[in-house]
Order: sequence, then structure tokens, then C-alpha cells
Amino acid sequence: MAKTTYYIPVGPIHPALKEPIRVEAEVEGEKIVKVDVKRGFAHRGIEYMGMKRNAIQTLYLSERICGICSISHPYAFVIGSEKALGIEAPPRAQYIRTIIAELERIHSHILWLGVIAHEIGFDPLLFWTWKGREKVLDILEAITGNRINYAMYMIGGVRRDLKESHIKALRDMITYYWEFTEHMKEVFLSDPVYKARTRGVAQLSKEMALKLNVVGPTARAAGIRMDVRQDIPYDAYADMDVKAIVPQDIVGEARGDAYDITMVRLYEIEQSLDIIEFCLDNLPEGKILAIPNYVALLNKIKKTEGEAIGAHEAPRGEVIHYLKYDGTRDGPAVWKVIAPSYNNINSWAPLLLGAEVADIPVVVAYIDPCMCCNDRVAVVEDSSGRLLDYSYLHKKAVEKTRKLEKELGVRR
Amino acid sequence: MTLTAEEILERLKEKLGDAILNYEVKEYKMGVKRPRTYQEIWMEINRDAFRKAVEAIFEIDYPHLHFIAGEDVGEALTMIYSFGVFHSHPWGEVSIVMKLDLPKSNLVLPTITDLMIGAETNEREIREMLGVEFEGLKNKRHLFLPDDWSEGKYPWRRDEYGVEDMIKHTHKSVREIRKQRGEQNG
Repeated sequence: MAKTTYYIPVGPIHPALKEPIRVEAEVEGEKIVKVDVKRGFAHRGIEYMGMKRNAIQTLYLSERICGICSISHPYAFVIGSEKALGIEAPPRAQYIRTIIAELERIHSHILWLGVIAHEIGFDPLLFWTWKGREKVLDILEAITGNRINYAMYMIGGVRRDLKESHIKALRDMITYYWEFTEHMKEVFLSDPVYKARTRGVAQLSKEMALKLNVVGPTARAAGIRMDVRQDIPYDAYADMDVKAIVPQDIVGEARGDAYDITMVRLYEIEQSLDIIEFCLDNLPEGKILAIPNYVALLNKIKKTEGEAIGAHEAPRGEVIHYLKYDGTRDGPAVWKVIAPSYNNINSWAPLLLGAEVADIPVVVAYIDPCMCCNDRVAVVEDSSGRLLDYSYLHKKAVEKTRKLEKELGVRR
Repeated sequence: MTLTAEEILERLKEKLGDAILNYEVKEYKMGVKRPRTYQEIWMEINRDAFRKAVEAIFEIDYPHLHFIAGEDVGEALTMIYSFGVFHSHPWGEVSIVMKLDLPKSNLVLPTITDLMIGAETNEREIREMLGVEFEGLKNKRHLFLPDDWSEGKYPWRRDEYGVEDMIKHTHKSVREIRKQRGEQNG
């Protein structure tokens, strides 16, 4: 029988992903034989814009690179700027920055857990996890004034202080999430269908992960103990010994599949709670800005020649900013941003090869892609001219889950 | 086992010799209650020794590629490569930042995708943003820019190949633009 391949474009608009990207797959029956990923649908030339603005404007522009990691880019930017300018943030500010960054990790990880549950057809789980996520968003709103785009960081400190009421609310939140995470662990990790649906899907070996240059939970799930907070610590992370969470420490071996990455993310929520608690217990007193006058700060930047790398471990992985101040402008002369999805999307093509069409949503979602950071799968036409859109793919993914449920004898 | 920045630098000097034009070991202090330091190596190298330098880094430890960036400095482009070696060791990661000047008459560099396939993304981006050709790069399609992007236009260039004439001047007032065009107000 002659083999026919069908061309399946997914995206650029795809409901499972919050942002546009296109995956073009060639399939033979259910099996994917060729993949091409097209990025750039959300490229707005933010680096170009940043090189035309002053450093404080660029700092808040960097916050708009991504809504979900809206603290990660400013964090890398302020760390890099402080290294280049030779200023140090006051101790209290360093601790507050770490607390905000960890709050963001909690909400981002819970968001991902909801998305992956939706991708494989567990919609009640999506609503339940996102309901739990509201608590941390409320806290962020109470502290910073916003649910996203917090405008909290400044080169050399933070713009808002933590009040006693915030600290009390944070402690309440920690108690709440210890319980909630325990519950989530039970739901996700012990469920036989979830396990069957994610074990072996999107499996990345350690060697492959290194070669593809992936970062963050994607790399850690493959067994690489890589975490910026541990490798080159900064701020309050430098005072505690953060340890990268890898599956081999939890269950003895790392397989690097979607199940492992779920595990890594769940345990990282608990790690974040520990970090926030440490910061609250050891929160230093004092001022929150090294140079409170922004005009003086811009003047200092204008007179400084220097370059540095700022790195931060965002929820999805390492964010790196390279900055160069040339001593003539009050903004960066060169600004290069590398976001985690920039590297993590490298894993799609090799992972999709040989996978089934029903696995596309899982593979695409498992790295928690962020297109505005970087810059999904497409509409498919098969040989008879039938259009296969995302809802079809989603249906396939859900069907596979239901089939597994039946096979495993799980009743709903 | 990890090596310190000085030890790594010694090894690189052995391999590259005179090709290292300039170097500096930068040290950064981090932490409030228990301040500790980590180091970064910043070096400028001769462009002909680029491939050898990358191979030398890969021999020390399989690195993590932080970024590839570039700056238009007039006659030449300064390329900046940053690799992190000994990542996954607490306080042990050493960033090796390599800079090399590429004259605009010969904007060609060997690819590193044969050593690290993940670098394809970075090289494709630099190729479309700065116009540097990578010898041996297989996939040369645009990464972020649209497929119908004008030939010979590179957004990060500051010379006639730049995009200054393609952008809308939203930061200029209508009055300024009219004045520039020689139009009359009103």
C-alpha cells in the first residue's frame, strides 16, 4: 500500500496556547514524520525599542515582554544593570524582590498545571487549579497593586515596601498553599489516567536536553541539575542554599517526560513556599532603594560605561539579559534578551517526530511555551481536503485520554 | 569536579595562545547575610580562532549557551558569545563571554550547530537581525521576521542596512514630521 503523508499546520492561532505560533507537521496515519516550527508571530522588536529609550523606560518595557513572567524580565534587567553600574540594592529590597519572584513562580506553575489538565481533557481540574491560583494573585495585587505587570522593581531596589499586613497575608497564603499543593500532588501524581497519558510523552533524554540547550523545568525533568538560583545565586537566593529540584531526588530516576515535568513543577511550588518563608523570617530592616532619585540614577547611567549579564530563574527557566551602557546614553546601547521559551521550543521538533497526532497538544504545552517571551500546532488539511483544526486535535487528545481510562478501568 | 575561572582561563590560554587579545576575570559579590562571590571570564579573541575557542570550551565541559548578541560599531560588528560551563554546581557556574570583531567586508562565522543543535535558534536570529552568515548552518529561513522581509535589511544595524527608514516615528510629533518634509503647518 502506498504511503501518503498529510500536511498538518497547527496555528498560528491555537486556543490551548495563549499566544500565536505555528507548527507544521507531516503525518503518516497517526504518526508524525516531519515537523517545522514557525515562530515570530508576536515579535514586536522590543529589543530595538529598548535601545532607543532610557533605562527606566526600558525596565518597564521589559515587564511587557511577557504577562505571566512579568517579574522575570525586569529581574534579569535590574541584576544586569546593577552589575554593570556597580550599585547594590539595599538588603531589604533584595529580600522583597526574591519574595515577589517566588510568588510569580507559584502562580505560573499552577497556571501550567491547569493548562496541561485541559489539554488532556480534564477540564474540572483546570477550573479547580485556577481557582486555587487566585489566592496568590490576590496577594500580588495587595502588595504591588496589580495582578500582572507589577512595576515593582527598580534598578537598585524596589519601589514599594512590604507592610506588616502584607507579611501576615503572606504567612496565611503559605499555610493555604501547603495544603493545596499536597492536594494537587495527590490529584496529578497518583491518578492512573494522568500517569498513563503523560508517562513517556514528550520524553527528552539528558544528553538531548543538553544538546538542545533547553532550560528550567524542561532541563530539570531530564535530570540536569540546572537552576540559576543555585548556579549563580543573586539577592536573597545567595543567603540560602537553593537546590535544583530533579526527579531523581524524588523518585530515584529521571525520565524527562511530561509526567516528570509535572512532578518537578509541583515540588517547585513547595520549594517556593520555603523560600518565601525564609525571606519573611529573615527580612532585614532599612531602606528599599539605593538611589531614590531617578534623575540621579539616569545621570549615573549616562556617565557609566559598562556591560554585564543579568540572569534570573523564571518559572519556565533561565532568563538572560545582556546589557551594555556606553557612557553616552541614559539607556542601554545594546540589549539582548533570551527568554526560556526561546530555548525550550527547540525541543518541539525532535519530540514531535514519531509521536502521535493526539500527543501534539501535550508536547506543545509541556514546556509551558510563552510566545511573547519567545516571540502552536496549525490547521490541517488531509488528502480529501478535510480541514483539521485545533478543536479536532484537542478532541483527539481527549479521546486518547478516555480510551486510556477505559483500558485502565477508571470510572468517572 | 569544577574548575575555577583562573584554571579555565589557563586552559584556554594554552589552547589559544596569542589569539586571546584581551581578558578580564570579573568577580561579583552576592548575598546579604553570607556574602559569597562568583566569577565570569570576559575575553576578546581573534576572529580566526573562533572555532578553536568554542571547541576548547566544549572540551572543558559541555556548556550551556547563554546567548549570541552583536553590536554594530561602525566599521565592524562586535559579536558576543556567552557560554556557561559547570552549570548544575552550586556557585560553580562560570560564564565565558567571548567577543570578536567581524569587519563588515567579511561577515562570516563558522556555525556551532554541529556541536550544539540548540544554537540554531540563536544563529538564525543573528543572521536575520545583523546579517552575519553562518557557514554550515542548514536551516536559513527567517526566525522572527516574516518570510517576505525585504532583502538586505537588518534591524540591529546602525548603517544604511538598518531599518530607520522603515519604522513609523511614533515618538515624533506631527509638527516635527511636517517640518522635516517641508510641509506647512495647518
